[in-house]
Amino acid sequence: MTATKPDLGTWVGKGIDRVDGPHKVTGTAPYASDVTLPGMVHAVVVTSTVGAGTITKIDTSALLTLPGVRAVFTHENFPRLNPSPDVLFGEAPTAPLQDGRITFHGQEVALVVADTSQEATEAARLIEITYAAEAPLLDPAAGQPEPLPLSPDTSRGDTEAGWAAADVRIGATYRTPENTNNPLGLMGCVAAWDGDHLEIHDTTQGTIALRKTLAAMFGVPESGVRVRVPYLGGGFGAGLNQWPYKLLAAGAARELGRPVKLMLTRPQMFRLVGHRPDTEQQVRLGATRDGTLTMIEHRATVLSSIDFLAVGLITSGTGHLYACPNVATVERTVRLNRRYPTSMRAPGEAEGNWAIETAMDELAYELGMDPLELRLRNLATDLDPASGKPWSSNGVIECCRVGAELFGWSRRDPRPSSMREGDLLLGWGMAAAGFFAYLPMSQARVTVYADGTAAVRSAATDIGTGTYTVITQLAADLLGLHPQQVDCRLGDSDMPASAQSGGSGLASSLSNAVIDAVSHLQGELLTLAGADSPLHGLGPDDVVCRDGALCRRDDPSVRVPIADLLAGQGLVEMSGDGRLRPPDAAAAGMVHAGAYGARFVEVAIDPMIGRLRVRRVVSVTDGGRILNRKLARSQILGATVGGIGQALFEDTLTDPGTGRVANGTFGDYLVAVSADVPDVEVVFVGEPDRYTPSGTKGIGEIGLVGVAAAIGNAVHHATGRRMRDLPITVDQLMM
Amino acid sequence: MRAFVYDRPDAVDEAVASVAADPQAAFLAGGTTQLDLMKDGVWTPDRLVDISRLPLRGILVESQQLKVGALTTMEQLAAEPVVAQRLTFVREALLAGATVQLRNMATIGGNLLQRTRCRYFRDPTVAACNRRSPDSGCAAVDGVARMHAVLGVDERCIALHASDVAVPLLAVEASVLVSGPSGQRRIPLSEFWVRADEGPSIENVLGHGDLITEIDVPLLPQGWRSGYLKVRDRASYEFALTSAAVAVQMDGDMIADIRIGLGGVGSVPWRAREAEEMLRGTHVDPVRFEQAGRATMASAFTVPGTAFKVDLAVRTLSRQLITMTEATR
Ligand SMILES: Cc1cc2nc3c(=O)[nH]c(=O)nc-3n(C[C@H](O)[C@H](O)[C@H](O)COP(=O)(O)OP(=O)(O)OC[C@H]3O[C@@H](n4cnc5c(N)ncnc54)[C@H](O)[C@@H]3O)c2cc1C
Ligand code: SF4
Repeated sequence: MTATKPDLGTWVGKGIDRVDGPHKVTGTAPYASDVTLPGMVHAVVVTSTVGAGTITKIDTSALLTLPGVRAVFTHENFPRLNPSPDVLFGEAPTAPLQDGRITFHGQEVALVVADTSQEATEAARLIEITYAAEAPLLDPAAGQPEPLPLSPDTSRGDTEAGWAAADVRIGATYRTPENTNNPLGLMGCVAAWDGDHLEIHDTTQGTIALRKTLAAMFGVPESGVRVRVPYLGGGFGAGLNQWPYKLLAAGAARELGRPVKLMLTRPQMFRLVGHRPDTEQQVRLGATRDGTLTMIEHRATVLSSIDFLAVGLITSGTGHLYACPNVATVERTVRLNRRYPTSMRAPGEAEGNWAIETAMDELAYELGMDPLELRLRNLATDLDPASGKPWSSNGVIECCRVGAELFGWSRRDPRPSSMREGDLLLGWGMAAAGFFAYLPMSQARVTVYADGTAAVRSAATDIGTGTYTVITQLAADLLGLHPQQVDCRLGDSDMPASAQSGGSGLASSLSNAVIDAVSHLQGELLTLAGADSPLHGLGPDDVVCRDGALCRRDDPSVRVPIADLLAGQGLVEMSGDGRLRPPDAAAAGMVHAGAYGARFVEVAIDPMIGRLRVRRVVSVTDGGRILNRKLARSQILGATVGGIGQALFEDTLTDPGTGRVANGTFGDYLVAVSADVPDVEVVFVGEPDRYTPSGTKGIGEIGLVGVAAAIGNAVHHATGRRMRDLPITVDQLMM
Repeated sequence: MRAFVYDRPDAVDEAVASVAADPQAAFLAGGTTQLDLMKDGVWTPDRLVDISRLPLRGILVESQQLKVGALTTMEQLAAEPVVAQRLTFVREALLAGATVQLRNMATIGGNLLQRTRCRYFRDPTVAACNRRSPDSGCAAVDGVARMHAVLGVDERCIALHASDVAVPLLAVEASVLVSGPSGQRRIPLSEFWVRADEGPSIENVLGHGDLITEIDVPLLPQGWRSGYLKVRDRASYEFALTSAAVAVQMDGDMIADIRIGLGGVGSVPWRAREAEEMLRGTHVDPVRFEQAGRATMASAFTVPGTAFKVDLAVRTLSRQLITMTEATR
């Protein structure tokens, strides 16, 4: 990778409006649900009404006589599929309709295909299925704990010695419930085959992982599968996996020789595209009188479905945030007859932070120390405490200090229930936050045209976060153009391969691929500069593109119009391909740091009727280089709303006897509404990260981490009651 | 979705006749309850008789009462100045309900007839629901039951009547005018709904083809104050966990007269008559407020998910009594 620092600053960082905004607000942005193809038919998924067992009979003959019905697929006639391949974070849970086994309530058991979605819906309602039902396994205590591949146990030092050496100790159990991702856009797809070629318009967050899965499972070449997702209505992780519905649509389309459209319903969104799984966590902390941590022990159990494991990551941040010599983390999962888990915004970190940052607040009270002071004393800012190597950047202390200042933390009376306003109890709480660094591979192609415009192409998706816009800004700076001269297209697996939009990794991964592509493009353009050219003999990093010309980097007045370079060889365009070139970790001598944050919250509680309102939030984030201030702020704002939801409302409930989702509608499953969200002050601190040339960190998820703990800690400050189980509801707050 | 006949008559007697003639027919007003039930497959009528063209929209203000056409929307009623002045708690209950989009569609007649939000009732794949299919059992009693009722219920059905505005309307002794196959009649709201513990599958006294044409709402006399307190998890767009509609006439610091309705607790909107008796003619006293609440909730039937509602309802009522009696002192 070029060692030269890119020249950023004209457009990068500016809070320009979304470049795709006009398409979205005028309804011209094509979503999967908008796709209509000639001869297309509609499929509706039928789901099981028992939580475990086997199907003994499905009678579909009557359905086939209903108006419009074309086919009914069950495990008896759906094509056999190959096993799903490994794709990180995003494997397929299990191939659908391969046998009559039921592993959870609401599982896919049949697919009805008809000329219209109404006809398919009605036929799906009338299908008769007989089950040999078994009692579903729903009690975590009755399951077999097993390790999670992505969340290995960790240990350093000697936690028992740290416990023994502590002057003050706390230990408690914390719980987080199932939350459902629920992007507003319903997930679904349109699948169409042309011989062995498959084209699918989908709502995936990762086009390449889906391509690989479809190719492998249907036994066709990857080159013949095209996944298109120019837009999707949000993801929050629900679009990361290769969910069975996609395989159902593709299988049905192949069997019927017609394009098939399959859109899930909102209730199905609670069952078939994952969720943040429930956790139970035990935390023990020990500290000396002066507040120095002597040990941290974090044990977590997270729930999985029978065939598909949770991602975990509940404990994986624990050893890195605080400089404590003795740390042990243990993470297990239990397979139950529950629907598929997945990653939901800030997976694992949001749950683990709830436990750790609540425990830190408890420890602060045991010590009689300001909770902020306890953080500042222990946060690991210079060295990663796990490896002992320096961080590539770490602004967590700055997050805490700046947040405390803006919030007015110094005016806090630490005694519980000491701050009042009329009948209301006020509470101030805070939490520190970290989010792991994740840098998956992406590729991009940058093309310049004779007319002076440019294009960026990548298979990456913009799930609403602003990828189109920040990549346009970045390319504009790298090419010395106005953003309007740069056309960014994403979401098509026929473009250069890219990682999924997930794990807060895409912005860094893709932006570095674009930087690399521009460097290669410059190299290609230089090959066009003949011996008489003033640029002859220069290397790719000795030149820059400016206003449609290739210029000497150290003297931009020495310039050759790109149009002339191209014309000289009869070319009309030139491309450079690039990819992320991660530094060699050992040689870099540093540990790649993720994003950091600190959250400060004020709550007001009416103790008589248990009414809690969040009054104020100050959210400070170290996000490395910020590519677009406005979009970055939106990410933190949205994540704060998600964090308020996690703290106070979101709770996907399961029927104790059957394993059915008990509240799987937007009328019954509460998310935060506007009235629940106060003014949120969003601030960014920190420097561009040293690890990659773009200097970025992921900011899509960090904003959620710490919000719940800050709220819970504020509740304790207001009431003296310690909240350890989410969500925090009226019945816990009546005093 | 299943095919059905759609009918949109212009006159009340046509609408009544159309539904009366077909046992599988249903009225359609704003559709915010009816269409959900159809989409969920809970109730799939063969014929939908859209009453939106009937001349039943608007509010007639008389000296002692309002005559509210059944098709008046929740927003329209909330915007009526007399409601703000003389029936404050009706306005507050309306505006605390649903969202403005829904309130612009939802009619006041439909609101009184909204069906329970019980998720087991609204999911036809759940077999056990005495309300939907008599004698099948009740899945909610052993299930997830946070949004369920504790008064007027037993183990056969704990369905909540979730209307907000019905609570103050009941407290002011409103009545409905009904046109049915056998003519017109007036039904006081106190006799309109049927408690779940009196028969889970019957929700009200209307017969098939009975159409509510008007709701007559007595105005609170001059000098009364009223207000509605709704307690819920989030700040808007949620049904009540508990609510209290209180109207008082104060005489110094004495409660000369009082009306109390409770929401979020009953299989029907709940009039707290014992509490009214205990408080009428007494001095303002929060301890007594709480006792009155406890007396009202004494007959509660709870399951683990709803147990907190007994205490919360007492607190909600006490708080609202304090608020209503305080400001006059
Ligand atoms: C998401 C959501 C949130 C809500 N939140 C609240 C809330 O917080 N508080 C609250 O009080 N309500 C709430 N509601 C309920 C809402 O107020 C009712 O659905 C609405 O008032 C019903 O009126 P409608 O005109 O839409 O009735 P429809 O849905 O058209 O009809 C309801 C029923 O009454 C029958 N019907 C309608 N009009 C008549 C008539 N004149 N005579 C005889 N039968 C008739 C219909 O056949 C049907 O069975 C909510 C509803 C939804 C969907
Ligand atoms: S509470 Fe009533 S409506 Fe709900 S499941 Fe039980 S019987 Fe049916």
